[in-house]
Amino acid sequence: MTVNNRFQLRLGRMPPEPRRRGLKPRLPMGSYSICVHPMLLICLVCGLCAGVAFAQGLAPPTNVTAKDTPNDDGKSITLTWDAAAEDSGITVYQILRGTTPETLAEIGALDSAEKPTYVDASVETGIDYVYVVRAVSKTEATEETADSEITEPVQATGQWFHTGKIPLFCAMLIFSAAIVGNIYYARSGKEIFVRRIPGLEAVDEALGRATEMGRSILYVLGLGGVSDPATIASMTILGQVARQTADYETPLRVPCNDPIVLNVVREMVKTAYLNEGRPDAYTEENIFFLTDSQFAYAAGVDGIMIREKPAAVFLQGTFYAESLILAETGNSIGAIQIAGTTSEHQLPFFIAACDYTLIGEELYAATAYLSKEPMFLGSLRGQDWGKVIIFGVLVLGLVLEPLGINWVTTFLQKVVN
Amino acid sequence: MLEKIMNMDRRIVFILAGLAVVIPTLLPVSLPITVSEPTQKLYDYIDALEPGSTLMMAFDYGPSSLAEPEPMAEAVLKHCFDKKVKVVGVTLLIDAVTLADQLMQKVAEEKGAVYGEDYVLLGYRPGGFQVILGMGSEIASIFDNDYAGKPLSEIPMMENITNYEQISLLLDLASGSTVELWITYANAKYDLTIAAGVTGVIVSQMYPYLQTGQLVGLLPGFLGAAQYEKLINSSGKGTAGINTESFVHLLIVGLVIIGNIAYFMTRQRGES
Amino acid sequence: MKRQVPLVLCFLFGIVMILTEFSPHSDSQELYKEVGRWYLVITPFAYVIGVMTLVQVHGTRIRRRAEYWQYSYVVFAGMILMVVVGMPTFLNQTPFFQARGISFGLQSPVFEWLFEYVQVPMEATTFSLLAFFIASAAYRAFRARTFEATLLLISALIVMMGNVPIGDYIWNTVMGETPWTDGTSWARQWILDNPNLAARRGIILGVALGVISQSIRIILGIERSYLGGD
Repeated sequence: MTVNNRFQLRLGRMPPEPRRRGLKPRLPMGSYSICVHPMLLICLVCGLCAGVAFAQGLAPPTNVTAKDTPNDDGKSITLTWDAAAEDSGITVYQILRGTTPETLAEIGALDSAEKPTYVDASVETGIDYVYVVRAVSKTEATEETADSEITEPVQATGQWFHTGKIPLFCAMLIFSAAIVGNIYYARSGKEIFVRRIPGLEAVDEALGRATEMGRSILYVLGLGGVSDPATIASMTILGQVARQTADYETPLRVPCNDPIVLNVVREMVKTAYLNEGRPDAYTEENIFFLTDSQFAYAAGVDGIMIREKPAAVFLQGTFYAESLILAETGNSIGAIQIAGTTSEHQLPFFIAACDYTLIGEELYAATAYLSKEPMFLGSLRGQDWGKVIIFGVLVLGLVLEPLGINWVTTFLQKVVN
Repeated sequence: MLEKIMNMDRRIVFILAGLAVVIPTLLPVSLPITVSEPTQKLYDYIDALEPGSTLMMAFDYGPSSLAEPEPMAEAVLKHCFDKKVKVVGVTLLIDAVTLADQLMQKVAEEKGAVYGEDYVLLGYRPGGFQVILGMGSEIASIFDNDYAGKPLSEIPMMENITNYEQISLLLDLASGSTVELWITYANAKYDLTIAAGVTGVIVSQMYPYLQTGQLVGLLPGFLGAAQYEKLINSSGKGTAGINTESFVHLLIVGLVIIGNIAYFMTRQRGES
Repeated sequence: MKRQVPLVLCFLFGIVMILTEFSPHSDSQELYKEVGRWYLVITPFAYVIGVMTLVQVHGTRIRRRAEYWQYSYVVFAGMILMVVVGMPTFLNQTPFFQARGISFGLQSPVFEWLFEYVQVPMEATTFSLLAFFIASAAYRAFRARTFEATLLLISALIVMMGNVPIGDYIWNTVMGETPWTDGTSWARQWILDNPNLAARRGIILGVALGVISQSIRIILGIERSYLGGD
């Protein structure tokens, strides 16, 4: 029995009777009920002495509440209590948990300097738990404790919707609506203006040049996998290029870095040749797996460039440090080079070494630009709407923040976090 | 002559660049190194860790690019072992496993660290971001054993390390896009504190994350390795590398200036 | 049917995976993890496909005596050697190999030797080409032709010098008497923290919107290139 338990006894501070399950009123673990304990008199004497000694001593944590942690998967309960005064002498809080007051046992501790909140992440969903927060004052010579009242039984439950993510959800809905709305707008047959993208205008020039010179076209999809949006965009451009190479009977070589991409690309180029009525011109061996190793791939592609001297080189997709190794080799053989990547750190290399470069989102615009499909053009217009919305919100935030109105900033922070 | 300078054969540039690497390597020089803020932040963070804390080191670089991240890894490992911070090695690239194993063993021998008590190498599992996500729930669900095939349950150090909650810092040593993966899936989803050490080519890509606090520190290429070596008073490959790199940069700057002088002189002649 | 089933699956999984981002419930998160596990299972199969196509391509090259067909034998030799040395770890338990001190697997001395003295130097050599190419590309590209190109040129020179200690060494030697020390690395840091960051954020925002737009097109079945054609 701790000194402070006796102090509680003396003051008659008993834990409240649990309201559910008909539990008997009991003291926290380590304490003894007055009516059953044979050492009652000794306790009482000690308690009185201690009570006098520690009348100004350790106070138990107050307002202890245990609640199901909001917005979680139903695996935690959050405890909060009032912060103790700085001179309270409390060094640490021990957390005791049980399914009933009789089974209370220590499950963790919290330094008194920290915020008085404890998240118990070791609970099971759907089971009632009760808690006690024990204040501990420890010195080299003595140790005092004071237990809080037992909390109400609480269960951990999982939530189906994270309310903290409402701003993000709203942002997602707004951008999606802008894009889907514009796709419908485009489907209604209204004309959509697309600015000139020199890199895509040059595709015809590159193909024409290769055909005139009787040389091949080398198409490099980068190092991205099939789930990489930049690779998907690159594959779409490849589809458009393949239609034209089928018409011109220009050999199209595609060394792949990813086996799944390889199979998709083969199917895609084959379909393009079929659609153009030239299945005989399709050569499966021209689309092949080289290696998935970054620099072995770069060395392999460089070798192809040096040996075969393609007239046009397309570098479209996700690239890393190999970008300049590829682009400089292409430059050295005098090929017309059209690059495009969303890897913004590789853009300077492409701009320095290639004839044309699609910068960032231009790669995603390529599908719409080359195909002129209304639905693709509509999504492109939706992207621009998205930019206008972001720009508008940023300007609004910049204007309101100096005026002390910060709800825009708060909203954006909530979207990000 | 001016035309020749302007359109200098690239092979001459290659030879000059080669000489700018070889000569300082053979005749080493020592230049004073200034420690930048991102490196200092990482050092301070690790230095403030309590003995017994755990740092997860992701060796996400291949043999091709080891020149820059490896000295960083070596310096940080030395610091951790000196501070009695435990290290859990992991990689998202299959090529890096052997590199990580060799380096950890080497530094551990030098510092007297014991495998299984002071450090562990979990190794590689395919899946990229799925591996990161899986470890957030439970490390053992992804790595049931370590690199050598020993079950995690038999490794004393891993007894109390079950997921990211027991990891004080993740340091990603990368030559590709893995830092973004760690930020997206480990920092955003599991609130894991992340720092990075990356090759010089991708350093500028890291600044947005540094400014937002998603990265608590950053080692930028050879410079970062050299700065960390300076902070732990253990000069190594990073310091040697950055001194050599200095002369290559000086050469490129010189060439660019010469090229521009030739360009302006040609243009002036054309105008006159 | 060949197209419709993948399109329906893509739509369903696309929507469900988006919703799991907003649902912390254990069932929802378990579904998210389950899909992740499927992805982990599929990944090794992709490597099998890769090896198969590699064998197919190089086998055809040898059979047809295509140009440089001899090198295809080198591909096979390298592949077989690494597989034989690196994979059959179960042989380590057999008395025959134990008695002769021969081991297999990623930690076997032969594998480590091949890795350290063949793969590492080869890959590092290719990567090191980057330094030479950066030098030649920089020499060719950095010309002060216009005002913008001049700005780019000046910032590049500052960042290049600020990235190495010799930049500050030169600055401190020249400006040693002034209170401004380490000016090159300060200027480099300023360029990286301000103009660089601003431009990069703009590009990232555009790319992110492009990704959202493309993802919606894929989920709605408008974009079908990933299925191998129209």
